[in-house]
Amino acid sequence: MSYGQGRIAMGKGLRAKDGERGVKWKDFHTLCSVFCALCSVLLILSFPSNIDARVKGKCKNCHSMHAVKPYPVLTKGGCLGCHAQDPSGTRNIIIIGKTRIPQVIHHMDNGDLAGGNFYYVSDDFNPDYSKGHNVLGISLQEQPPMDVPPGFMGNVVIPGGTGPAYWPQQQQLTCAGTWGCHGNRTIENPYKSIYGAHHTDDSVIDGSTVGRSYRFLYGIKGKEHKNWEYQATTDDHNGYKGDTSYSTMDTISYLCGECHTRFHPNPNLGGETAVGDTVWLRHPTDIAFSSVHGGYAGSEFQAYTTYSLQAPVAYKNPTGRESIVDMDSIIMCPSCHRAHASPYQDMLRWDYTNSMLDRGDGCLTCHTRKGR
Amino acid sequence: MVVGDCDVCHSLYPGMMKAAAPGKPLRYVLQNSMCVSCHSNADSNTIKMLGGARVPVVYSRVKPDRPLSGGNFYYVKVFGDRRGHNVDGIASPDAKNGFMPPGYDRSSDPSTIGFNDKKPLACAGSNGCHGDRNIENPFAAILGAHHSNDFPVDGSTTARSYRFLKRTAKVKGVTGLEDKDWGYSASSKKHNEYTPSINRFCADCHSGLYRRDKIGRASPWFRHPTGIVLPKRGEYLKYNPDVPPPPDKPDVRIYSLDAPVARPEVPAVSSDEVRPGTDIVMCLSCHVAHGSPNEFMLRWDYDSIVAGEEGSGGCLICHTGKGE
Repeated sequence: MSYGQGRIAMGKGLRAKDGERGVKWKDFHTLCSVFCALCSVLLILSFPSNIDARVKGKCKNCHSMHAVKPYPVLTKGGCLGCHAQDPSGTRNIIIIGKTRIPQVIHHMDNGDLAGGNFYYVSDDFNPDYSKGHNVLGISLQEQPPMDVPPGFMGNVVIPGGTGPAYWPQQQQLTCAGTWGCHGNRTIENPYKSIYGAHHTDDSVIDGSTVGRSYRFLYGIKGKEHKNWEYQATTDDHNGYKGDTSYSTMDTISYLCGECHTRFHPNPNLGGETAVGDTVWLRHPTDIAFSSVHGGYAGSEFQAYTTYSLQAPVAYKNPTGRESIVDMDSIIMCPSCHRAHASPYQDMLRWDYTNSMLDRGDGCLTCHTRKGR
Repeated sequence: MVVGDCDVCHSLYPGMMKAAAPGKPLRYVLQNSMCVSCHSNADSNTIKMLGGARVPVVYSRVKPDRPLSGGNFYYVKVFGDRRGHNVDGIASPDAKNGFMPPGYDRSSDPSTIGFNDKKPLACAGSNGCHGDRNIENPFAAILGAHHSNDFPVDGSTTARSYRFLKRTAKVKGVTGLEDKDWGYSASSKKHNEYTPSINRFCADCHSGLYRRDKIGRASPWFRHPTGIVLPKRGEYLKYNPDVPPPPDKPDVRIYSLDAPVARPEVPAVSSDEVRPGTDIVMCLSCHVAHGSPNEFMLRWDYDSIVAGEEGSGGCLICHTGKGE
């Protein structure tokens, strides 16, 4: 019996005895409620929350067992083989069967993903190294002093252990591992550091493993936008984790601070000495609007009320659905910067050098009175 | 050892035996096709009777009902290069690789002659798999093996090498336990048993797919490793998840004919038990030797193996965590 037939049969049975109609109608409504509830449960179960929880698709899309030119983990070209498949092309997300692969380099207009686009620093495309991270395989290593992450300090506490004691002069930035961003940074080999993450059920992002960390940034929490913020809206975006207590290592800004140590006020990292306290020495991060000098009430930050994709904020428990910005919203590194690369200097989300005051955006998204 | 009437093999085909010229030793003609002639079949049966002898069929001229353990050259003949070894007398040379085996490295080939990339792959001899690869002539390379005592299968002679895979006269041949039906009626309990020697054998011609300097020395591998122990950790602990072990043997997994493993030593009898941490991944875990319906002579259709969709089979027999 189909679902429709079942409903008709129930109705006929209920109309059979008029004398019991009142009771029957009550039962009918109860039955309907239970039925609807069951249907809802079934619907939820049939579309589990981890629908995109792990890589789906043919093994052959990403792996080659005995490639003529082999790459680690039997991948077709390593990280970039999958995530930079067509740098000159115009697809920011490449779909092969059921496999959806975000592209970190592409040439699509208005298609830059949340992390930005290495296109701006790629040696293949008239690069400007000030606009992004110089990752091995994409760009050459920068000249000193930018051959070492600005603000770097050795032996800082990172998820899983301790960061490197120093940054070797010839050591270029990698996608993952000790000298990169993704994966377990206590493991030097990039591929080993991220091993298995793509095949992990990451429906829960709790930072417990690389696979269950935000964008495989080990230890970091957050909510991942399913299209990597392509066509994101103010109420459907990445949910960035922030924390103003400086007692955790799970914020997106802490991840940045693992290398750019002196830019983060967490005592594990640069701390007050480097960032300041009563007077800021550097722009603070992982700080809520409620903690601004002089207090939130009456401050210029009160005017930032609707989530801005240009200057996003973090939340203590992000859902990716926040559209309201208030005193508890948290400034983070990606409030101003892109992780990979942007069209602007210093990987900023906007042009710091030009006409910002006229436009009223960029820094003025938060510093709303500075443009007046 | 072959038993039965001489005629059924030795004068079955016209021209096979020819009178020797005066003063010359008796020689067989049609040497390049003689192996194929005996071990092929016009119908779909893959074990045929020649007199009283049971002959395993490696090349069926019609679709084989039940390909033997080594597969069947029918597939490379009918469906092309990617489905099998292009053996002379069966299939034309590989359009992509020519005569050269992928991954061949002369320095890794124990044959004193080496593989001649100007000549086609043969059943036996220096350009083939079976027999003594220090001998160029396929026929001579395997001469006498069918009529020799083939027990124990210790690799000491061609006859005493697993399926006559001797490698060379001075190099120990392949060892293993030969299923008496060549896998025709194989099950998880009854099957060939392989040892890591089969990997070294394959590597004589495909060393680039075996040597640690070519594939990596540990995870993360650059090419799929072979000759490594099935890890006793993680997803490998659930090898062949579709067939759970008996409750009283929770540490044992059940042998899969779709992804067989090798044993550290040749067992006396075949077993349906697989032990992660002991048993060994081998070339034949994924591939068959002769030909298969699938690309790259795989035991399954690689194109149909998908991750993350609760699939099973194929790669996912070992990589159980990828299917979930």
